[in-house]
This record gives sequence, structure tokens and C-alpha cells, in this order.
Amino acid sequence: MYKHLFKLIWNKRKQNILFLSEILISFLVVFAVFSYLTYYYKNYIKPLGFDYDRVWAVSYNSDQLSKNADSLNIFYTNLNKALKAMPEIEAISFSSSNYPYSSSFMSTGLTQGGKKFNQISDFNVGSDYQKVWNIKLIDGRWFSPEDLISKNKEIIINETFSKEMFGTAKTAGKLIGDFDDKRKFKIIGVVNDFKANGDFVPANNLMFSRLDTTNLKWASTLLIRVRETAGASFESKLYKFMATMMRSAVEIQHVDEMRDARNKETIIPMLLFIIVAGFLIINVALGLFGVLWYNINKRKGEIGLRRAIGASGISVSTQMVLESLILATISVLIGCFFAVQFPLLNVFDVASGVYLIAILLSVLFIYTLVIACSLYPGRQAAAIHPAIALHED
Amino acid sequence: MLKNYFKIALAVLKRRKFFTFISLFGISLTLTILMVATALADKMFNPGYPDYNQHRSLYVERIEIKNTKEGWMNMSNLSFYFFEHYVSRLKTVYKMAISSAQKSSNAYLNNKKLVIGYKYTNADYWNVLSYRFLEGKPYGEREIKNAEQVAVISKKTKEAYFGDEKSVIGLYISADNINYRVIGVVDNVSGAARNFTGDMYLPYTLAKDSKNTELMGSYNAVLLGRTADDVPRMKKEFTQMVNKLPIPPDFDKIYCNADGFKTSIARRMAGDSNSNGITKVIAIGGIFVLLFLLLPTMNLVNINITRIMERSSEIGVRKAFGASSKTLVYQFIVENLILTFIGGVIGVFLSLLVIYLINESDYISSFNLTMNLTVLFFSLITCFLFGLISGVYPAWRMSKLNIVKALKA
Repeated sequence: MYKHLFKLIWNKRKQNILFLSEILISFLVVFAVFSYLTYYYKNYIKPLGFDYDRVWAVSYNSDQLSKNADSLNIFYTNLNKALKAMPEIEAISFSSSNYPYSSSFMSTGLTQGGKKFNQISDFNVGSDYQKVWNIKLIDGRWFSPEDLISKNKEIIINETFSKEMFGTAKTAGKLIGDFDDKRKFKIIGVVNDFKANGDFVPANNLMFSRLDTTNLKWASTLLIRVRETAGASFESKLYKFMATMMRSAVEIQHVDEMRDARNKETIIPMLLFIIVAGFLIINVALGLFGVLWYNINKRKGEIGLRRAIGASGISVSTQMVLESLILATISVLIGCFFAVQFPLLNVFDVASGVYLIAILLSVLFIYTLVIACSLYPGRQAAAIHPAIALHED
Repeated sequence: MLKNYFKIALAVLKRRKFFTFISLFGISLTLTILMVATALADKMFNPGYPDYNQHRSLYVERIEIKNTKEGWMNMSNLSFYFFEHYVSRLKTVYKMAISSAQKSSNAYLNNKKLVIGYKYTNADYWNVLSYRFLEGKPYGEREIKNAEQVAVISKKTKEAYFGDEKSVIGLYISADNINYRVIGVVDNVSGAARNFTGDMYLPYTLAKDSKNTELMGSYNAVLLGRTADDVPRMKKEFTQMVNKLPIPPDFDKIYCNADGFKTSIARRMAGDSNSNGITKVIAIGGIFVLLFLLLPTMNLVNINITRIMERSSEIGVRKAFGASSKTLVYQFIVENLILTFIGGVIGVFLSLLVIYLINESDYISSFNLTMNLTVLFFSLITCFLFGLISGVYPAWRMSKLNIVKALKA
């Protein structure tokens, strides 16, 4: 039977080539959409690694503050005390300008065992940073006051990075080199992966290092976890206080709003992409439907003859659906050949699992589409009455 | 003759309503998406208000300092000092608008938060750029010299901060605990004009970083030449000046470009300090449009072939009476163009709707997309190309039809 179907397809190869290429291109479009969606979905389901509710970020300009490291240290200590005394504040921490959902990015390199790891997000944080963001440690501990006197600067890294370097998440106490391996850092803790750039963006490898007298001048953000009682009146009070203290422009942002804005950067293009692709697919579906319908109308004589010599309605409609499925299979095979190149050549630096899932989903999608578009024409073919069909010819 | 084709085309369209629907659906939506994309691109490359002197301006917005041996690189906006000390000495520069990157500050009004984006500018900023003053006037050299706390605000800020107040000149607006006296209100600038949009404009002498003498800072500038012919000379003089800049220690190369407007956008999108990115932008845009058009075109070709085969008896008769293949191909392409243009007209209406929705949603502030003549012209061209491409192959197939077979069917 399949041999016969192939023969029928071959006889109409000129028409079928167009049909084939249309399905092929649709397959590639669907593949692109599914790769895109799978990639973002996989990122989306990974845990965030911190709490953003009720966290406010106060950014200020530190140019007006003292340049002397010691007096700056005293200034920050006093500021810390004054802020902590406010009843609406649960925890505070100063930080460099790169904190979750901020548009700023600071990176550095680290060396371990002669191998250099680049693009490590470098967060300079205060001692209560963990409390502000509710970060969970999976190994070791957070910074403590006695750290300041130790020889090697302490850092805290994330789980994936720890596994990349040592193959295990239990790396507290190990030493690693800085970007040119001249100084050593001591890992004192390992935290969960930290999706600092939005829900859909993969977590970057990171290291937390402590804001101390050497780098306090880079602090330009105050992060505050407020209690539920904190409202707009407190915000305006806090604003006045900070503007007076810092003698500079101050901006208070709510981190949950920043997160929405960040996610919007992914969601809006994604929606646009889905709308455009959806439109293309509807277009193709209607086209396929129309062409199949027309082809069946043209083959009335042939179908009538089959019916006259005893073929059942079901076998006629199966033949129609199978014919289109065989065509779809040929296109899908060619499409898979192209699609498989993406994981093989590692284009775009995306895990190959994403592409495989996308290929699977696209194959399923194309088959569903083709079956849906050929079912009705197939049933119509089955309904052809032999006598009328043969009479017409 | 054309009238006849037109009649036939309409008759064919009426015959198979379902196919007509599929074709028109595909054509109109494809063109809608293309038209909206063109409108977006047009807005990006021709933002219009307040910058109407693009043809005689150069734009300087970033500097890159490199250590080519170690691979270190620093990139940022420029300092006010750079413009004042180096650029203002160029002979070809007629006027220069210097402004800082937008910074945000909060204002609290009756327990409501208002985010104000403010920029520091020089006095010539108001002469180079044609802001529409709804009331009041800009600050001049005198206010700048005395570092007066005056502000020009946008219409949006006026409405948000002062509400229904009729005239706000002389009133005070408080930001960062400083009370600025409002001396002018300008019309809102679209978010697409990135360097010129803002809620509040202040004299640069109020900025704390205007005295820094490094090259890097937070300012960018528009250099205005006397005439459009001055622009190439201005560019040359600027490059010569950059080559003589003192290079900071630890680095060995400085890159800084003064570009025309479109080039500056392309460089920001796809280029770097060495290449302006225009070819890249055009190539990527072109490939994207082609890929996007591929599927609807294939679909249309498929449907067109189906429809032609339906008309094989008509074609057979015409051929039998001596119509040449050329005439038939010509006829079919014209018919197809008529179809695409009907789709195009529907597409124009759909695009107007989509553009209206985008403007309403206010995703980018004051982003007034418009359906202007440029967009319409490009849409017409795409429409024509689309119709031509999707008609040629089916028409060729049709003209090859065997008369006897066609008549028999």
C-alpha cells in the first residue's frame, strides 16, 4: 500500500514539491519558536535564589562623600545605625551598583587549577545582604565581622560555578586565585544559583565579596528590606533622609517593579515573536487546507472508481490522510537534518537538550497540523458517491 | 485591456470565496506586519521632533579607551570637559548641543511617587534642537553662568506635578530636595529620540560632575555645522582632534566617532568603535524580511497554482484562439497584482489599527508612530514585489499548459 502511495506522490511531484517546501519552512519556523520558548521555559522554572518582595533599592551618587577610606567607613557605620533604628526597616545592606534586576553589570575572572573562568558577576555587598534578599546557603556560612582581619579575602560563590570548578557544591574553605592568579580568595560559602537578571535569563556565575575599606568607595546603592507597614509616607521620609545624608541625587526603586520591567524586556519580544509565528502558521494551515481540498475535488474520478470496486469510505479517507502524512514526513526529515545542526555545531551556546525538546515538539506540531488540515478533505473524499463521480467524468 | 483583466480578476475572486479569503488574509496580515515594522524603523531612524537639523549635524556619544596588548577596554559617554575643551575649538563646528545622559530622581506629591528623568544641558542645546515651547523660554548663558536653579520641564511633568494649573512659569518643582524655578514647558519628546527625551532639563553648571577633567563622563553632544556641506569637513576635523587626544596611562588607543544620525543608530545597534554597523543592520534586516516573506509567498504560490488549474478550460480556450503565452502570463500577473493591492488596502487599515493600539498602550513614552508617506511608499513597494513574486511562478506554470489537456478537463 505504501509503495502505491509513493507512486501516487511521485506522479504529482511538481505540485508536491511546493507542498513539501511549504511544510519544510513551516517546520523550521515552528522549530525556531519552540527552541525559543523551551529555552525561556527552562530558565523560568529554575528557582530564583532570593526573595525580591519588599526590597527597595536606593541609588545615590557617592561623589560628594569623603574620599578618605577611614572617614567613609565611619560615615557608613553611622548611617547604618541611623537606618536600622527606623521601625519600618527590617534589614539593610549597602551594595555596588549591580544588584538583582539593576541594569548594571560588573564582572571579573577567577583562576582555579590553571584554568581561567571569565564573566563572573562580581557583587560587592554589605554584611546583611543575605538577610535583605533571604539568600539560602547550601554550604559554609555568610560573611561575619571577624572576616575583615583574615589574610585571604573571603568570597561566596554559587552552586553551578562551584560544581564547574571542583565538581561539588561543598567547597567552603577552598582557595581560588583572582583573575591573574596573583592573590587568593577563600571560599567561605556556596549559595543557590542566583537569577539576578530576570526570570527568563539564566543565572550567571557569581561571587559575592564583602564591601570593606578597600572598596567602600564603590558602594552606590542601599538595599532595604522593609516591613509590611512601610508605605508611601515612609518612602518620602526615607528619601528626604537619604538626600540630606548623601548630598546628592537619590532615587528609590521598588525591586518588584524593577523585576516586572526586566521580565517585560523578555516577554514583549517573545509575544511579538509568537504573534508573528502564529500568524504564519494560521496562514499555512489555511493554505494546506485549501490545496488538499482542491486536490480531492480534482481526483473525484479516481476516488469514485476506488469506491465502485469496493473500497470503504474509511479506507479512502485514510489514503488521503496518509498521503499528506507521507509528504509531511519527508519534509520533517529534511527539516530535522537542518535542525539537528544547531545542537551539533553548538550554535548560540544553548544546551542541546533545548533543541532536542524543540525538535520533538515541532515534529508533533507539524503532524497535528497536517492531520487536522487533511481530516476534513479526507472525510469529504470518503463521502463521494461512486455513481455520481463516475458519471461526471 | 486592463479594465478587462480587472473585471476577470474580480469575477474569479467572487467565484471561490474560501480561497479568496485565504489569499486576502495572508496578504493583508503579511503586509500589516511589514508596514508596522517599517513604521517602527522609520520612527527609529527619523525621530523628527525636536531634532530637525539631522542633515547638518554630527552626533558624538561614546568614547572607547583600549589597551590593545592586554585587551582591556573602557567605554562610556564623554565628559563635559571633553566637549568644552577640545570639541568647541573645532573651527567647523557652528553650534554644539551638550547634554548629559538621563538621570532619575523622585518627587513625592501627596504620598504619590513621581519619577523625574532629568538632564543637564548647555545653553546652545536650545538653539541646536527645536523644542516646542508651550510656555516660557529656555535658560541662556546668563542663567548658566550664575548656576541658577531653574528648570525647563516637559508637558508630561507639568501635568503630573502641577495637575490642571494653567501656567506654571515661576512655580517651583522640587527634586532631590532642591527647589527649581520652572522657566519653560516643552512638548513631550518621543522615547525613540533617546538622547533628547527627558522630563526636566537643567543648566549643566548645577551638575556636580561638570568639572571633572577626564575624558569619560556622562555627556553626549550634537555638533551642528553651518551647512550640510560642512559635515564631511567637520567629521575630518573631529577625527584629527581625536587622534591628538592625550591617552590616559595604562591605555594605548582612543576611539571616538562623530557620526551622522543614521550611522550613530546603526553603530549603537550593531557596530563598535571600528565599524559603523550599517552593513550589518541592513544585512540582518534584509535577511529577516526575506525569511519572513518566504512562507506567505509560498503559501500564495500554492493557492494561486490551485486556482489557475481550476481555470484550465478558460486558459485552453484562450490559447486555442491564439493568445500567446506572454499575454496569458501578463494577464495572470496583473490579476495577481490586483489581488495583492486589495490585500494591501486592507493591510493599510489593519496597520492603522495596530499603530493606534501601539500608541495607546504607551509602552515607550510618547511614542507616536505614524503612517507617513515614507512608510506608505515602502509598503507600496513591498506590496508590488509580493504580488510579482507570488504571481510569476504560477503564471509560468499556466502558460506551459497543454491546450488539448486543458480543453478536455
